[in-house]
Amino acid sequence: MSVQQDDLDGRLSRHLRRGIVTGAGAALIAIYLGSVGLLAMMNARPVVANVLTLAQTALLAIAFLVGLLSQRTSAKDRSPVFWTAPLAGLVAGLLAAGFASLILSINLRSIFIALTPPLARLLTFGQPGISGAGLLVAGSVVAASAGALYQRLPHKVRRLIFPAALAVLLCGMFQEFIQVILQSNALFRWFAPWFYGWDGLTARGGLTIFAIALAFAALPFLVRRPGGFAGSAGSHPWRRSAPALLVLLLLLLVPIAGGPYIAQVFLLIGLYVLMGMGLNLELGLAGLLDLGFVAFFATGAYITAILTADSPLALAHYTAVPSFPFWAAMPLAVLGAVLMGILFGIPVLGVKGDYLAVATLGLGEIVRIVVQSDAAAPILGGAQGILQIPKPQIGGFQFGSAVSLFYLTLAAAIFAAYCAWRLERSRLGRAWIALREDEDVAQAMGINLVQSKLLAYAFGAAFAGLAGSIFAVMVNSVFPSSFQLLMSINVLALIVVGGLGSLSGVVLGALVLIGLPEALREFGEFRYLFYGLALILTMRLMPEGLWPAGRRRRRIVVPATGARSAQAARP
Amino acid sequence: MSETSLITAAPGASARKRINGIDIFMWVLRCAVAAIALFGTVATLLEGRYSLAQWFDFAMFGLTLGSVYALIALGYTMVYGVLRMINFAHGDITMTGAFAGYFVATGASRSGLLAAHPILAILAIFTIAMVTCIAVALATERFAYRPFRNSPGQAPLICAIGVSFVLEQTVRGMFGSGVKSYPVTPWQDAVVTPLGMRIPVINLFVMGCAISAMVILYLIVHRTRMGMAMRAVSEDKAAASLMGVDVDRVVVFAFALGGAMAGVASVCYALIYQQVHFFMGFAPGIKAFGAAVLGGIGSIPGAMVGGMFLGLIEAVGPALFLDGLGITAPYQLRDAIGFLVLLMVLIFRPQGLFGEAMAKKRA
Amino acid sequence: MTVSKRICKRAFAGAVAYLALAGAAFSQSSEVRIEPGAPIVIGGYWVLSGGDAALGNDQKRGVELAIKDLNGTILNHPVRLLAEDSQCSAEGGQTAATKLASNPAVVGVIGPSCSSEATAAAPILWNAGLVSIGTSATAPSLTAPDRKADYKGFLRTVFSDADQGPADAKWIHDGLKAKTVVTIHDGSPYTQQLTAEMAKTFTGLGGKIASQEAVAPTDVDMRPLLARIATEKPDAVYVPIFVPATAQILKQAKQTPGLEKVAFIGGGGTMSPDIMDAAGDAVIGFYGAFPDVTPEAQGKDYPKLLQNYQDEYGEAPTSGFVANAYDALTLLRMALEKSAKTEADGTVVVDKKALHDALFTIKFSGMSGDISCTADGQCSAFKPGIYQYQSADRSSFAIGTNPKKIYP
Repeated sequence: MSVQQDDLDGRLSRHLRRGIVTGAGAALIAIYLGSVGLLAMMNARPVVANVLTLAQTALLAIAFLVGLLSQRTSAKDRSPVFWTAPLAGLVAGLLAAGFASLILSINLRSIFIALTPPLARLLTFGQPGISGAGLLVAGSVVAASAGALYQRLPHKVRRLIFPAALAVLLCGMFQEFIQVILQSNALFRWFAPWFYGWDGLTARGGLTIFAIALAFAALPFLVRRPGGFAGSAGSHPWRRSAPALLVLLLLLLVPIAGGPYIAQVFLLIGLYVLMGMGLNLELGLAGLLDLGFVAFFATGAYITAILTADSPLALAHYTAVPSFPFWAAMPLAVLGAVLMGILFGIPVLGVKGDYLAVATLGLGEIVRIVVQSDAAAPILGGAQGILQIPKPQIGGFQFGSAVSLFYLTLAAAIFAAYCAWRLERSRLGRAWIALREDEDVAQAMGINLVQSKLLAYAFGAAFAGLAGSIFAVMVNSVFPSSFQLLMSINVLALIVVGGLGSLSGVVLGALVLIGLPEALREFGEFRYLFYGLALILTMRLMPEGLWPAGRRRRRIVVPATGARSAQAARP
Repeated sequence: MSETSLITAAPGASARKRINGIDIFMWVLRCAVAAIALFGTVATLLEGRYSLAQWFDFAMFGLTLGSVYALIALGYTMVYGVLRMINFAHGDITMTGAFAGYFVATGASRSGLLAAHPILAILAIFTIAMVTCIAVALATERFAYRPFRNSPGQAPLICAIGVSFVLEQTVRGMFGSGVKSYPVTPWQDAVVTPLGMRIPVINLFVMGCAISAMVILYLIVHRTRMGMAMRAVSEDKAAASLMGVDVDRVVVFAFALGGAMAGVASVCYALIYQQVHFFMGFAPGIKAFGAAVLGGIGSIPGAMVGGMFLGLIEAVGPALFLDGLGITAPYQLRDAIGFLVLLMVLIFRPQGLFGEAMAKKRA
Repeated sequence: MTVSKRICKRAFAGAVAYLALAGAAFSQSSEVRIEPGAPIVIGGYWVLSGGDAALGNDQKRGVELAIKDLNGTILNHPVRLLAEDSQCSAEGGQTAATKLASNPAVVGVIGPSCSSEATAAAPILWNAGLVSIGTSATAPSLTAPDRKADYKGFLRTVFSDADQGPADAKWIHDGLKAKTVVTIHDGSPYTQQLTAEMAKTFTGLGGKIASQEAVAPTDVDMRPLLARIATEKPDAVYVPIFVPATAQILKQAKQTPGLEKVAFIGGGGTMSPDIMDAAGDAVIGFYGAFPDVTPEAQGKDYPKLLQNYQDEYGEAPTSGFVANAYDALTLLRMALEKSAKTEADGTVVVDKKALHDALFTIKFSGMSGDISCTADGQCSAFKPGIYQYQSADRSSFAIGTNPKKIYP
């Protein structure tokens, strides 16, 4: 559509279309949520007890967002008008009401199991017939208008309201998760009743949280001195290491304060950080895509199990080898993983790119299948795994609790991070990066491909073996079912989401991708839906990860702009 | 060979010698695998547990399963050929087609259409499944893959993994987590007996589907204007667009073709194995991905041969290689044998059976 | 130093001190007080995601149906089920258990579905004073007489493989008069252990186990395996695995020369109408080994539970363990009613230790058979039953008539 045609009629029809399209999109999202059963599940969860359920919040939020989006200026529409918002709300409301009456009039349940009469009642706020539909449409129009009004508020006000509303939503949505933390120790328990009742966030708690979050959001406006703050930052070395120290301190303290469950979650995150750092050496630095990474983890876990367990499958039980303490078994487990890494690496030396992904995937699966098989059961326990792995001990102190094991993992992770950091800046690290950029050129520059590649596998495997060793004592047992392909995929996902090649990215990625499913554990069957959506959204919004490595960023810019200019040249 | 020698050796000077060491290791590995396979085979054959007719049966059913792998692998290959991107969600796209086909099939079965006009009903099942798969594939392309068209790295792969989760969970949420069964028609049990060999019609049908799908795809890619555009985009996106090729259209077309293949694959799978559930796409998806790589990803005949080969190995492998060795529960190791063969092929030919050398592709 | 920096520093120092203090104040109480209007919180953990999600979902829904049948209340308090996903893995079970254990409102826990989950989770729960009642975790070691003290809080309303395996072996030997048997498991600890127990007893009885085979749960082409089994000329095949793989085996066995007439015996994993759809006519003649839950033996209505399930969730359960889960909730409810003290204002006080002890005194006749707990936590008195499918018509599914009870 050209600019000349931009007369009144054209503008009117464009606004009309925009309103209808956004409204229909919103209705589709609501219908999707309803038909996968999410709305029904969310309806059982209050955001604010006896006031607002999560399902209602979600529906209102959709309508609100529609109103908000309809007011955004875009290249096509530079001057959005207000009435598109209620129009979009109206369309969304009508479609949703039609959907609700469809559920009530036709029994679709033999196909869509979630389309039940209660869902229809939920959509119409519990009112029957026309009044329910009217309520739905009215609610949708009002919410959309509210969204439009919000969008028209000054930027500063929005920056105050948004975090406050988000805080209330999060506190309500993750109330079980938060309650577990609050209940875990006496000090939190003391003020918890103000915020949380039996069935969720109380109204007064919600208001308090809103106020607190508002105050926090306002803090920068109040205390910032004009100009000076941003200028003095950056160059000071203390400033660069401060965030890292802060994170470290938080990591040290949170598990104690949050109770055993939080410690357990952090312990899992720690193990994934270890593995992520290992894969980061392989993929982030050396560019070797590895989908069989879990094999090294399994090797570490099984070696620890066989050397230390109090079970008929332990080496000590049927050979002259004595039963090892954990501290002696762990280095052997790491060594075993390193050997595995080299054995793994040699056959696939010549395999590149996506072929390598399949080759390593195959190797990982072979390891799992063999470990699980009856053929190897006399040595590895088959499907029954190896039980009764003792916890590590120092003197009289036993690393029995999740908290103590977390500190063990943290120590291992810090050590590993130091190694990774040194490796990245070493001659070998530079060789890996050269290898990643172009193998042929790297070889021409005198880099020994075979050696560098095998070392990448070996170091990556060492980190995973260490994680596996701790994992074995964490669960006191090893089962082959723990070492699925999904684990390799998770590790890959976390380092890419965090930002390939960046150590902080690994930590951040693990926090998000392992922490998020944990926070969603109570959502049971739906948590992998959220996980998948999170993967797509993060990659869409930040394709280079949450915390990209500086060096890599430089590299990516060049081909991207080149391709873009080529696209622009297209007729 | 010890790892310390690898670490301490200086680069350059002793490179030649070390590569020889690695070469020796590789040869030992190859010989060991070959020797075990050979020994197992000879032992199995000497044991004489299976008759010739049984071996024929194994091969035929393996090829049938292989045909399904091949059809799924064709979908991977179409997308990879054009975009150089692994559509990790392809197995789950196949699964959505199987579900769509299931609802049509049960509807047709209840209304009596399936019994009265089986050909019409089967056509309807295929059409709906293909349309569903194409729609899902295109939606996936539009929302999840197009934004990454020009970005290197692993972001598209991770996004595809995310799509895979979302598709699985959506289907589970909508249609339940139980196993659904395709209705059975009498002709599915029909058998022809040429030369005294019992061959179920359905197996011939599925193999026929796979082969004709491959031929059609091959003709599209090599004989039509669109195919030419696809090959051009595959060679060099920027240059193709300078030559007037609409890259978006080509990519959409490739995804549509891949989706259509997924639709055919899903119905073929459902017709033979008669079960659909939300997780069914994962395992065949991974294996078909392996099959596509085995044949040389991006090559249409390669996907076909790779799929057939993998199916055959899975069916015959445990009996042929392991039975004679006296390994307990050899069928538990079926997938391991499949992947091992895949690895051996990649060791000999790192670019797959029909693939071009990687160096050429990276232009 | 800027003002903001100073504020941040102080706030941070304060937070650190507070957190350190808070950590020290961590404690665990031995009783749960449920004030008037407050819910009784029951924890649950099952596999709710991934390929085995159907198994755990069944059991979670079984508990939900049991709660619904109580009108959602126990001791005049509303009941809340906190169901966690434990992924059928040891680490998943451990994490779910840690989460439940750190919630002081939880009075008891139901689940899990997999023995690997229970192995890792039961000690954590018991160390927090919580009982857990397994719903399909059948590994014998979990209720073995020599189990460690950590496992004292674990009970189960599902039979042990050590009960079912030998019982099945006896029937196959004496009832079916089979001499040579082949077993098939699917690589899960449950089926592997069950077939191993069965094989042990069967050999002891003088029978011959021709081979112990295994498949992957996702396998679809079973013909090579079946051809191999056919060469061993067994009288029966013991295949206590789940619906998808069993259906393929049954269907393809009908097309395998030498196996057309061989008896196939399944287990609890296939006690659902789903197998009739999935296997079609091949299900006719298939035996199912499952506790005797027929109406005439129990006076109970498992078919009604199945109907309620269908009405509530729009699909049928995928296995028979929905009944075991239902009984777990009933058991916990009865023990709560017996052990909890109600104060004058309606506050219910649950002493976790007393609840644990009360569980061992409860006896009732449940959906999955008679429930009464031994000192080792085995509550399902395994009463063997053998059923045989008569037709593949899904609507005719009723344990007792189709599949028809043929033993005892």
